Amino acid sequence: MVGVIRRLHKLKAILGVRHGPGAAVLPQDVSRIHMEFAHLFNDGHMGPRKFWRTSLPRLKYWNPAIPMIVNRVANQEGPATLSIYFREPGVTPKGDVQQQSSSSEGFSKAPAPAEGERVVQIDMKGRHSDQILSEFMAKSGAVPVTPTAQEEMEIREAEELEMKAKIDKERVRKMVEESKREKRLIQQAQSEAAAIKAAL
Amino acid sequence: MASTTNCLASLARLSLSAPARPTAVSIIPKFLLPSAATPLARHASGGGGMRKKAPKKKKTYKTFRSYDLTPMEQFSLCDAMRYIRAFEVGRPPASVKYELSVKLKTGKGGPVVRNRIRLPFPVKTDVRIGVICPDGSALATEAQQLGAVAVGQESLFDSIRQGNIPFNRLICHTDSVDALKKANLGKILGPKGLMPSAKTKSLTSDLKATMQELIGADEYRERAGVVRMAVGQLGFTPQMLSDNVKSMMTHIKEDMNEIDDTHIKQLDEVVLSSTNGPGFSLNGSFSSTDPKVGPEHLQSVM
Repeated sequence: MVGVIRRLHKLKAILGVRHGPGAAVLPQDVSRIHMEFAHLFNDGHMGPRKFWRTSLPRLKYWNPAIPMIVNRVANQEGPATLSIYFREPGVTPKGDVQQQSSSSEGFSKAPAPAEGERVVQIDMKGRHSDQILSEFMAKSGAVPVTPTAQEEMEIREAEELEMKAKIDKERVRKMVEESKREKRLIQQAQSEAAAIKAAL
Repeated sequence: MASTTNCLASLARLSLSAPARPTAVSIIPKFLLPSAATPLARHASGGGGMRKKAPKKKKTYKTFRSYDLTPMEQFSLCDAMRYIRAFEVGRPPASVKYELSVKLKTGKGGPVVRNRIRLPFPVKTDVRIGVICPDGSALATEAQQLGAVAVGQESLFDSIRQGNIPFNRLICHTDSVDALKKANLGKILGPKGLMPSAKTKSLTSDLKATMQELIGADEYRERAGVVRMAVGQLGFTPQMLSDNVKSMMTHIKEDMNEIDDTHIKQLDEVVLSSTNGPGFSLNGSFSSTDPKVGPEHLQSVM
């Protein structure tokens, strides 16, 4: 198995899932979230994809009980919509609301709102993920989470580590390039020497 | 072309004679010249100059490396699940699995931990069993009743030789062992890992017990000091996953106890990961450290 320190550095990714754009606590009355967009980024589906890959994990971390369903479809020309389902105030949630799980084959269409539910939709097509996120925050009424002093320090440490890694990567890249260049020169000289021998 | 070759030849001669003044047209760098041309290093101490140093021998270890776990951040099961569910959000839950890696403190070589386990909540259910037993016997009908997809002896051997293998597990009744040995199917079945043998417990006299164990049973084995197995689907609740992990760990511990005392086997670390997520080292506790998040929050539809 990989060494402990290397795995620990890799695990800094969990800091990224705790904090950053999208780290927010949704209000009590949000019952579920549904996203639908296409597999590829063509035709304006890049923003929704990025929103799913970057912001949705953070939302899921802070709101583990809220179902967040992603339905990816093959049709690139289709719409890209995000639906937020709200529970109407005063309505107790029913336990028997059937919810399909996420699908990568387009089987999990956005469900019609159940009794005592209303839907707010966001059109995501052709928009940047940041724009989608800001509209989502405004329409859902989510409260952003701020990192504690301890976590801020950890984030800074992770960034510093990233900087160090950048320097090291550059150094290693140069070393590799140099050794490749030497190898190439040796090969060239050998082939030239062979040509001379053949000419003699 | 001739002019360049002449030029090169004269250059080579120049360098052979003596290290002359650096010429203006040195094409070949110094380190590329044949070794005979470079002046040999001679030292006053003498003797040692020409002798080659023996290449340093790499140290070999008899055990797999085990690390100090003090810097490792460890998680309770619910915490790890919360992270993993965040990483896997929006993935179809049928295609995402929880995986468990159990690192052992163990020597290289020697016996390995290897067994089959029937998890309380099976992870996969696509087992198709073939049974080798005498054609037309009571055993054959029993095997078919238990859900075997291919039953028989000579008829089954023929279909295997023709490349028709409708099963992904093969067991053999002790009555048919001699026939199996004569059939020479090792070349076909061996590479697929289907050849029945006592080691894999697929050579049996009790078809019923073995088949029931196989249906919903998974195989695990130690490779490079680590036992890895899928222990759950993404849709599992924390309680279900906990049951599976516990049953897996008790099984592995039993297996370790069975191995004789001359070979050391100890539990080192347990890591829970998922298909697309990072690995979380488990600390053995269940409940979440966040008081706002309980197991009931971690069972919504993914």
